[in-house]
Amino acid sequence: MLAEIASNLSLGLSIAASPEGFLFLVIGAFLGMVVGLFPGFGPAAGIAVLIPMTFGLQPTIAIIMLAGIYYGSMYGGTITSILINTPGESATVASTIDGYPLAKKGRAGPALVMQAIASFFGGTIGVILITALAPSLANFAASFGPSEYFLIIAVGLLMLTTMMGDNKFKGFISALIGFAIGTIGVDVMSGQQRYTFGSPELIGGVYFVAVAIGLFGIGELLHCIFNGQHRQPATRLRISFRDKEFWPSRQDYYESRFTFWRGSAIGFVAGVLPGSGATLGSIIGYSVEKKIAKDPEKFGMGEMRGLVAPEAANNAASAGAMVPLLSLGIPGSGATAVLLGAFLMWGLQPGPLLIVNDPEFVWGLIASMYLGNMILIAMSIFAIPLFVKFLDIPYVNVVPVIVLLCVIGAFAINASIIETWILVLSGLVGFAMKSYGYSPAATVLALVLGGMAEETFLQTYIISQGTMSLFWERPVSLVLSILLLMIIAVPVTLSLMNRAKGATEPG
Amino acid sequence: MIKRRTFTLLAAVSAATAFALPVAAEDYPSQRLTYTIAFGPGGGNDRMSRTVVDILRQYDLYPGNIVVENREGGSGAVGFSYVSRKAGDPYRLTSTSGNFIGTPLVADTDWTYADFTPIGLLASDAMLLVVRSDSDFGDLDTFVDAANAGRVTIAGSGSAGPERVTAALFAKSADIEFEYVPIGSGGELVTALTSGSVDAVVANPSEVAGQLDAGTLTALAFSDSARSTNNPDVPTFMELGYDFSFSLPRGVVMPDDLDPAVQDWWVETLKKVVETPEWQAYLVKNGMSGNPIWGDDFATYLEETSAQYRATLVEIGAIQN
Repeated sequence: MLAEIASNLSLGLSIAASPEGFLFLVIGAFLGMVVGLFPGFGPAAGIAVLIPMTFGLQPTIAIIMLAGIYYGSMYGGTITSILINTPGESATVASTIDGYPLAKKGRAGPALVMQAIASFFGGTIGVILITALAPSLANFAASFGPSEYFLIIAVGLLMLTTMMGDNKFKGFISALIGFAIGTIGVDVMSGQQRYTFGSPELIGGVYFVAVAIGLFGIGELLHCIFNGQHRQPATRLRISFRDKEFWPSRQDYYESRFTFWRGSAIGFVAGVLPGSGATLGSIIGYSVEKKIAKDPEKFGMGEMRGLVAPEAANNAASAGAMVPLLSLGIPGSGATAVLLGAFLMWGLQPGPLLIVNDPEFVWGLIASMYLGNMILIAMSIFAIPLFVKFLDIPYVNVVPVIVLLCVIGAFAINASIIETWILVLSGLVGFAMKSYGYSPAATVLALVLGGMAEETFLQTYIISQGTMSLFWERPVSLVLSILLLMIIAVPVTLSLMNRAKGATEPG
Repeated sequence: MIKRRTFTLLAAVSAATAFALPVAAEDYPSQRLTYTIAFGPGGGNDRMSRTVVDILRQYDLYPGNIVVENREGGSGAVGFSYVSRKAGDPYRLTSTSGNFIGTPLVADTDWTYADFTPIGLLASDAMLLVVRSDSDFGDLDTFVDAANAGRVTIAGSGSAGPERVTAALFAKSADIEFEYVPIGSGGELVTALTSGSVDAVVANPSEVAGQLDAGTLTALAFSDSARSTNNPDVPTFMELGYDFSFSLPRGVVMPDDLDPAVQDWWVETLKKVVETPEWQAYLVKNGMSGNPIWGDDFATYLEETSAQYRATLVEIGAIQN
């Protein structure tokens, strides 16, 4: 088996490492990073816009470049999460929770370097797992029906509670706001419109990107201005490669040495499942890290592990998402759906036979992902001093730039003004949430996952004739159901036991 | 102040309309063309629209620039609404698909198919009834027997989309009952079937092509009136004795209130498009049948398809009246 993998990879490398392949891989990775930097202008739009540019190329080279945009955007996307608290994608929401506090503490340099390393680690582990396990993983993804999806989303939603900070009640309210926004639009089950008030723009629901940019970006901005940050002179951070403050400390590496592995493994498994793979992966990665940490109170205050876990996870997930795409022809996200479109345009039909019919293509693409991750980490570390310079600019001059970026990002979603209004409104809500200690992350993630949870639950309901028997009749569902019950029951039992102990012991 | 601004605005609007209305037919086309796609990049409608635009560019069939834009949202409601509001603008094109008929029937849109100038139906896109190859359903008759003996579940995208209409028309002609499971997107639709959660799915051929080639899924029947070039082994429902056919209009329309000369210009131009080898290759690759209908015949076709669609949705109780 190892010999087979080696020969497959060398076949792939002969294509990906050819001068032409390498050149377009670098271009794709660079474009991906740039695309990721603009909140709202995500990889899906980036790939779609650049597809016509690839028409002159050989199909494999073209797809290598487009795939580079896809996973390259995962590297770039976190930079805005860390620097201006504005995630451009749902997969980088979890990275803001500790990434932005790190930057505020003056550790933007180490945070950016660490996220690049975590991204590289997650991405590379992801590709290694694809190389070794792709065929059996495809079967795993194909065995997920509505009942399994509901349960895995329920696990993700329960994990949300760990992100809600100190006040569970406020976190709960924040998540409920997200669910409420998620009910706007056409109900897939009945086809009825809910809360659209006759507006055609709302039939498709409220797109989370505008909400996320508003809640995080504009909300944070208003909060800083409210606190008078714009009147303070900028703290000059003289940062270059030679400075010690630029690199993560030895303690950072030491504390997160297992986090890399855990984040990558969780992210990859989540990514293989079509749906909100990278988002779920980053939430679960973060939550698990916080749960098993001995010092969970540090999370949310600028803890390096809290950044490494979701970053390793979302990059491993973006690699994992290639498994159902290549072997089942099933796209798991907007960006992979556009990639699927590009495959079809080149006459490549993803499915179980793709690897048999076009081995040069499949292995060329996989080999290019190894190289691509190496190019991206080099590029990121090289570019980080530039990004950190951004923090040198006095806040009063940064404000218009952020507002402009946010407005362009929101407008670019559908080239319609309604998203801009949603942005303004969620900006105000975000300011209020920030001021009163509510959790915008819980709101955005509940918005992304709530609709899916509702749909898959009702599908399970219809299929099992209202008995819900699917949840325990299907083996994978049964395992997930037990896991779910344990997540709920264990903390309750523990606290009850503690209380009982406290009651028997005097004083 | 306010008055003066309103006045300036009014003047600007009236000037714009005055310029927009009389388009001298002999000058047409003289401006940039905007091709609006009412769906996201990568989907069926997007691929068709971009194929048409590429052919227009490749053969220099349109003298000016062509801008392609995706305006997705609300199952086409947003994009089609945008184009319908451009009434009188002869430089706007958009592509139709099932939602062009279906969305106005189920949602409260400010447009219907009748608010557009029909140019031509370029292809029709039908559905496959697909089961797992390791299931007990060897052919359509076994499936019907199973439905008569017990309970079958059929999944498809959306609650009132073309998939549900196809399933309902089949059930009616076979006189069976089934449980319909609406599923959001194409990817989850396929895994609902492969995971054994549902008995069958109604799907667009492109969504299941890879699995059909590999033999993990089997198509029992095709909803077009003739067999598909892509899956010649799959019989049509009609051949098997279930008397219905249903397919989606893949066509091109323009905004309302156009000079008939503009409509004629585009009918002639698109007639050239469908004769190119590139278009024929597109049809074969996507398993569509190309039987173009032009101008007013296309309008009649849209009216009939909409009526059939509406009748089915009323019958299954998805919409009232």
